[in-house]
Amino acid sequence: MDTQAQGEVIVTREVKKVYSGNGVPVHAVRGIDVVIKTGEFTAIVGPSGSGKTTFLNIISGLDTATEGEVWLNGRRLSAMSGKELSDFRRDSVGFIFQAYNLIPVLSVEENVEYIMLLQGVPRAERHHRVQQILSDLGLEGFADRLPTKLSGGQQQRVAVARAIVSQPALILADEATANLDSKTGAELLDMMRELNEKRGMTFVFSTHDTMIMERARRLITLKDGLIESDVTKE
Amino acid sequence: MRTYLKLAWRNLFRNKRRTFIAGTAIGIGLASLIFVDALVIGMEKNMIHSATSSYLGEGQIHRAGYREANEVELVINNLDDVLSRLNNEEIVAHFTRRAMSFAMITAPANVSSVSLIGIHPPTEQHLSQIDEALVEGSYFRGDNQRDILIGSRLAEILEVAIGDRVVLTVAQAHTGDLSQEMFRVSGIFHFNVNEMDRGMAIIRLEIAQSMLGLDNDVHQIALTFTDEKYGQDKNLPFWREYSTAGNEALSWTELLPQLQAAFELSQFSTLIVGIILFGVVTLGIINTLFMSLHERMFEFGVLRAVGTRPSAMAALILFEAAALAVVSIILGTILGLVITSIFAHVGIDYTGIEYVGITFRELLYPVLQVDQFIIFPFWVFVFTVIVGLYPAVYAARMKPADAMRKSL
Repeated sequence: MDTQAQGEVIVTREVKKVYSGNGVPVHAVRGIDVVIKTGEFTAIVGPSGSGKTTFLNIISGLDTATEGEVWLNGRRLSAMSGKELSDFRRDSVGFIFQAYNLIPVLSVEENVEYIMLLQGVPRAERHHRVQQILSDLGLEGFADRLPTKLSGGQQQRVAVARAIVSQPALILADEATANLDSKTGAELLDMMRELNEKRGMTFVFSTHDTMIMERARRLITLKDGLIESDVTKE
Repeated sequence: MRTYLKLAWRNLFRNKRRTFIAGTAIGIGLASLIFVDALVIGMEKNMIHSATSSYLGEGQIHRAGYREANEVELVINNLDDVLSRLNNEEIVAHFTRRAMSFAMITAPANVSSVSLIGIHPPTEQHLSQIDEALVEGSYFRGDNQRDILIGSRLAEILEVAIGDRVVLTVAQAHTGDLSQEMFRVSGIFHFNVNEMDRGMAIIRLEIAQSMLGLDNDVHQIALTFTDEKYGQDKNLPFWREYSTAGNEALSWTELLPQLQAAFELSQFSTLIVGIILFGVVTLGIINTLFMSLHERMFEFGVLRAVGTRPSAMAALILFEAAALAVVSIILGTILGLVITSIFAHVGIDYTGIEYVGITFRELLYPVLQVDQFIIFPFWVFVFTVIVGLYPAVYAARMKPADAMRKSL
């Protein structure tokens, strides 16, 4: 299925996920069909337990669907081995998590260059790209600092830098602003929106945050593991 | 790879207190192994020295069958030839001749059976510690043939003291005729070994030969080597070369097989101690690595999410185990060196304690050897890394989504 040629980053077909904790099946996702195209700035919203994070995990290859298929950047995830999935995530997906989740023993520069290290990017190029991205995100002078020496907003900027530095096809942000105050959260969102507009990066958010909902161009609302609404703003 | 090494090393010191406690626990295990091994080597050396230097010698030559039968007629064959060859042996430091027999010793108050030993006093001094064990009187002086040395316990039984007269009765070789001679107690020795203090009487070789009707013959030649390693080498050509003409030459390891067995037991004990310590260490390492792993579950999930391969996750945990091993080895070797050095300097007092017929006569000094600081640390390192495989495989198999869910 050539989804990439049609500018489709994510295509899901009848995706379902059932957890069988304590012998009782829990239907987290009940059959979602969605297409996300290159350059979208999409928010997946819905109440707790609606299946947002599970769906995000499935479309990024962090988790596997019980039923259905997912194509990411034209490749069917269920056909990949664990190692192939790791390499695919490394090259195609950038992650931004709620709790920043930087590696605390690595400096800002080391955190940002980690994915490029996995990709085998030469040292000089790594350094250049890291300096460039830190400058773009207003983090000049912080390269040698440990994450614990940064504010929450600064840490999340570093997490954004880590997510976009290798220019992945898709950036997934799971409750990325939940730990930030509204001002810092708004600044971060404006920055991501700018990256989306200027560089054409595809962002998919899972969120409760109204600020994200306001800035998103497409809102997919989940309820009980199903799409309740899918609205694209003019 | 360098990134994972760097990550592992830095991760180890994220929780310094836990790393220090785990490293110290493993280090104590390593230090204990070093100390126990040094102690066992020291004990072996001490026991060998106690056994061979007090009377036995590092080797002996007898007529074949003498040790089993103890018959007076079984003297060493071709004695002159044997003595002449021993004089020219480069590896033999000293040797002495002995004539031996069962005897009856009689004093006015009491009578007792003893092992009578006829010795050549000047050469005997190099082989045994009879002179050093004297607690009363003196070693043989001049050429008074009537001097006799007896053990402290025997002196009590016979109720005799220095200068008192005793009579020895023996059966002569070949004829079986009784022979009696009177002696004056010139010295009382105390070896702290009941068999010797209770049942040994020592006279000059010449009069012993005369009483036993042996002419110049002897029953035993005891010897020491220029290096004690020769005495422990059962395959030394020396034993074969002197086990000819009806004689047998034996090392102390064959004369005292119980001592060799005791050493094997000690080595086995060291092995058991090692296994127990490594068992404790295993639990410590697994606990430390798993605690660290569970504490950072989300972080591991993130590492997997951003594209770290399962094999790289396993490598990271193994590097952390290796880093923990390095810290533990540094702590353990320092601790082992300090503790063992202290005891190697001041000694441990086991004197008077008897073990497999050997009484410790000197302080026991643990012996430090270079290989204790190479072999044991090497095995601690290998073992720690092997034990690290379990959490490493666990980390490699972790699904990123599960890891991030578990940490919530």
